[in-house]
Amino acid sequence: MRLVAMQDVGFILATYVATFIGSIALAAYYLRRGRRLADQLPPEDKPWA
Amino acid sequence: MFRVARLIAAKDLRIEVRSRVVTNQVLPFATIVMVMFAFALKTDEVVEKVAPGLVWLATLFSLLILVQRAFAVETADGATEAMRAAGVDPAGIFLGKALALAAQLAVLELLLLILAVVLYSAKLHAGGIVLLVTTLLAATCGLALVGTLYGGLAAGVRGRETLLPLLLLPVVAPVLIGATRATEAALGTSGAVVSDGWPWLGLLGVFVALFSVGGTLAFGPLIEE
Amino acid sequence: MTEIETSAAPASETNIKPPNASPVEVVSRRPSTGTPFTRILGIATLVSMALLVLFGLFLSPEDIVQGESVRILYIHVGTVWVAYVAFGLTALSSLAFLWKRTTSLTWDRIAGASAEVGVLFMALTLFAGAIWGRLSWGKFWVWDARVTTTAFLFITYIGYLAVRGLGGSHQQRGRRSAVVALLAVLEIPLVHFSVKLWRGLHQDGSVSDTTKVKLHDLMLFSLFISLIAFTLLFVWLVIHRQRVLAMQDAMDDKGLDYALEQRRSEAGL
Repeated sequence: MRLVAMQDVGFILATYVATFIGSIALAAYYLRRGRRLADQLPPEDKPWA
Repeated sequence: MFRVARLIAAKDLRIEVRSRVVTNQVLPFATIVMVMFAFALKTDEVVEKVAPGLVWLATLFSLLILVQRAFAVETADGATEAMRAAGVDPAGIFLGKALALAAQLAVLELLLLILAVVLYSAKLHAGGIVLLVTTLLAATCGLALVGTLYGGLAAGVRGRETLLPLLLLPVVAPVLIGATRATEAALGTSGAVVSDGWPWLGLLGVFVALFSVGGTLAFGPLIEE
Repeated sequence: MTEIETSAAPASETNIKPPNASPVEVVSRRPSTGTPFTRILGIATLVSMALLVLFGLFLSPEDIVQGESVRILYIHVGTVWVAYVAFGLTALSSLAFLWKRTTSLTWDRIAGASAEVGVLFMALTLFAGAIWGRLSWGKFWVWDARVTTTAFLFITYIGYLAVRGLGGSHQQRGRRSAVVALLAVLEIPLVHFSVKLWRGLHQDGSVSDTTKVKLHDLMLFSLFISLIAFTLLFVWLVIHRQRVLAMQDAMDDKGLDYALEQRRSEAGL
């Protein structure tokens, strides 16, 4: 029997939450920088679009 | 390439002899570090056990200053650009500066060893001398090569003082581990036997090989414009 | 950073609203780093992440030995895989850049983007690993070869990112960081081996090998989803970051004159 199960759940959730927050934050940062730069540059500097 | 190296090494060492920056500043710094280690550790016993590690830590911290100094003399008057413009072989510059740095490091390490014997009651014994000397040689070469390479990378760039430690210290981790273990074996600290030390020397050898080849190849592109 | 903040929206042609455009059309026509491919990729990532949460946290069983803490591994394994892939990509791109130095800065940008994303995943790996260690062995950290090498890589690549920020021309940046990346990669086995040799003298090696989990089917599946989900996320992040870097470089090249010209043309001069 794992006596510390309830505390474990906290740690486990914290890990998942931290991972997703970290990833989403980085993704949001890239998207925002991307939008702002793309607004200021002509199409020739955006060969993927 | 070797002719250039010799000339550059001679130049660097002559600058040092005339300005005495290493003897007047770096060696005292290393001494202070050794003393402070003793303050930080609780008992004589602990200090004696970790003496080899402390010697190499003090070496690494002093290496940072030595490397800064080695390249400050170049960037002060734009000497590197001048040498590059004159078509001087970058591999030669690399080896030359590494040689000069190694010489200064060797002096530093000898001092630190003496301090360890005096301050930390480290005991040298005849059986471990060969191992000790080879370790010093190998580690000195390794540190000098890495230091010159990363020093060249960070030279003349803003923020280099803080960048160099961040870059250099992780990279020399294998030298710290290997040199400390080998020195422990050579001095017989914590029951280590001389034969324990030779594998570590192998590790140091690989490190030297990696950075002598890598450094010679990489130094050119690094100081190019 | 030569990015110029504008308070009014610049009048680039793609921002002009056609008379009867629906809001959806206008939103998707705003310039960005997205393409149809990345949008699909993004959706796939979100779906697989959702599946990961579903299976990792709920549907998969607890482990016989480790209990619930095995769920952390579904994150940890995914992030560590991606972190190493990221650094491998950085090294390969650095090699490609040095090989054909005069042609494309794209390789340099891929290396930089990959390293940045790799640092994030390395941090997440160390974090999840520490939590898992705390739950499994009672310790946040252990000095064994794998963990120490991972920490070494983390710090080394933070140094790499610092080198990228040193300034100078784009070519210089590329060359400097490529050298650092390649040396770092060559050092990995060296560091790993030295720590292994060092810690092998003590008996702590056994601690790191306790991940011999008897894998139930659902657990295996969860691990598999984790790898897929994080790989998709990695690719998505690197593509976007690479494009942002490309625009930043273009912005640097064009510099102040371009921004001034833009402002002038807006004002109708």
